[in-house]
Amino acid sequence: MTENPTADYEHVDEDIEAVVEDTELPRRLKDEIYGIVEEHEGISVEQADDIAKATETRYVDTRVDPLDPVGTVSAQSIGEPGTQMTMNTFHYAGVAEIDVTQGLPRLIELVDARKTPDTPMMTVYLDDEYADDRERAHEVVWSIEATKILALGDVSTNVADMVVRVDLNDETLQERWPREDDVGEIAQRIADTIEDALGVETRRQGTVIQFGPEQPSYRELLQLVEQLREIVFKGIEDVTRVVIRKEKLDDGGEEFVLYTEGSAFGDVLDIEGVDGTRSTTNNIHEVYRNLGVEAAREAIINETMDTLEEQGLDDVNVRHLMLVSDIMTNRGTIESIGRHGISGSKESVLARAAFEVTVNHLLDAAIHGELDDLDGVIENVIVGKPVAIGTGDVDLKMGSIGGGTAKEVTDGGESEIEPADD
Amino acid sequence: MVDVSQHELVPDHTVLDDPEEVEAVLEEYNVNKTNLPKIKRTDPALRETEAETGDVVRIERDSRTADRAVVYRLVVE
Repeated sequence: MTENPTADYEHVDEDIEAVVEDTELPRRLKDEIYGIVEEHEGISVEQADDIAKATETRYVDTRVDPLDPVGTVSAQSIGEPGTQMTMNTFHYAGVAEIDVTQGLPRLIELVDARKTPDTPMMTVYLDDEYADDRERAHEVVWSIEATKILALGDVSTNVADMVVRVDLNDETLQERWPREDDVGEIAQRIADTIEDALGVETRRQGTVIQFGPEQPSYRELLQLVEQLREIVFKGIEDVTRVVIRKEKLDDGGEEFVLYTEGSAFGDVLDIEGVDGTRSTTNNIHEVYRNLGVEAAREAIINETMDTLEEQGLDDVNVRHLMLVSDIMTNRGTIESIGRHGISGSKESVLARAAFEVTVNHLLDAAIHGELDDLDGVIENVIVGKPVAIGTGDVDLKMGSIGGGTAKEVTDGGESEIEPADD
Repeated sequence: MVDVSQHELVPDHTVLDDPEEVEAVLEEYNVNKTNLPKIKRTDPALRETEAETGDVVRIERDSRTADRAVVYRLVVE
């Protein structure tokens, strides 16, 4: 805590500070009140007190009541806007020229915790020295984007001599290996890569590389060409394309930011020039593997919120998404919502059976002799008992406590949180 | 190797090494240790710490709704 929260405000005196600090408001709202008082000079202590009290009343009103079924509310609050989302949009929205899955398919992909997204992409920020220099930024681009032979030169086959001939383009070589001065040196490295990958002898003259099958065979020759096209000479195999964009910074400056088609987060973080504190990927599993479960939780919130905002559904309260994300990462890994994840691993047989593949769950439960404690909501709905949420969890006892007055007693039952199934 | 803790998505993780602190947390929430959310011992964010299975980790998030939010996770295998 700061020692003096109002040191920066001229018109906030000790009395005002006292009445505001006396409320139950969180730090941010208190600061906001100080801001308001500061803005309207000459607010009296009484007025400040009124403002603080009114804010507090509104704040307390917005709190979740005890036994409120927050999970169900979240499910509805995400589900309803979900119905307004587009089924299929494959547009180049958001980021320049990169096709990103959006709308409902993306939201489903997130809550299903798919191993790889439909359109993986990364946002790569650069370290200071690289971020404002186009050439150095390009250096990073070439170490990320997968470079294949067709980008470097022409490939032709000579059937008479049974050789594959690669004419490398000097300029391209120089451009993609900016640290290397000698083009021949680069060509040699490419020749070596080909030898390693295809297991053939290569002959190099300047920037022309030739090689062929050991025994003259037309089929093998064509096969070599096929394989040659797949070799990655530089960059990361999974990243097929990198788009470089100049973006405005908050402080008015500009920086280059890279957007990639394809994702290999772990590899990219190790590349020199990449800012490992801001770069992200839209693959939540890669975030989990490289940055841990807490980062994955943040990533899920960010991705779901961005998906909703993209569709103009930004009035979904972020708390609902935070709840979903909390549940998905509760066990230290990413779990999907649904049959294979949260809903499928519930304690209660009846709750599981009520979700999907009813018969299988009941059959398995019968074979293993499972018991159902009927603690949750779904189970009690099924058997027709009051559910342990809201007023359902409160018992009313008449005259049981001395003095003969009725008194509410809660039995402190656990209210189960329902995950946001759609 | 990149320093994971420097990434803006990663909040501060600190291992509670005082058993009394752990006790206080469990009392505050009125739960058992096993009721806490979990975090794997191999989690990248714990690489720099010496967290053992059974430890409780305090995580201080930059919260979207409350400035700072403190949560706890139990370290599991």
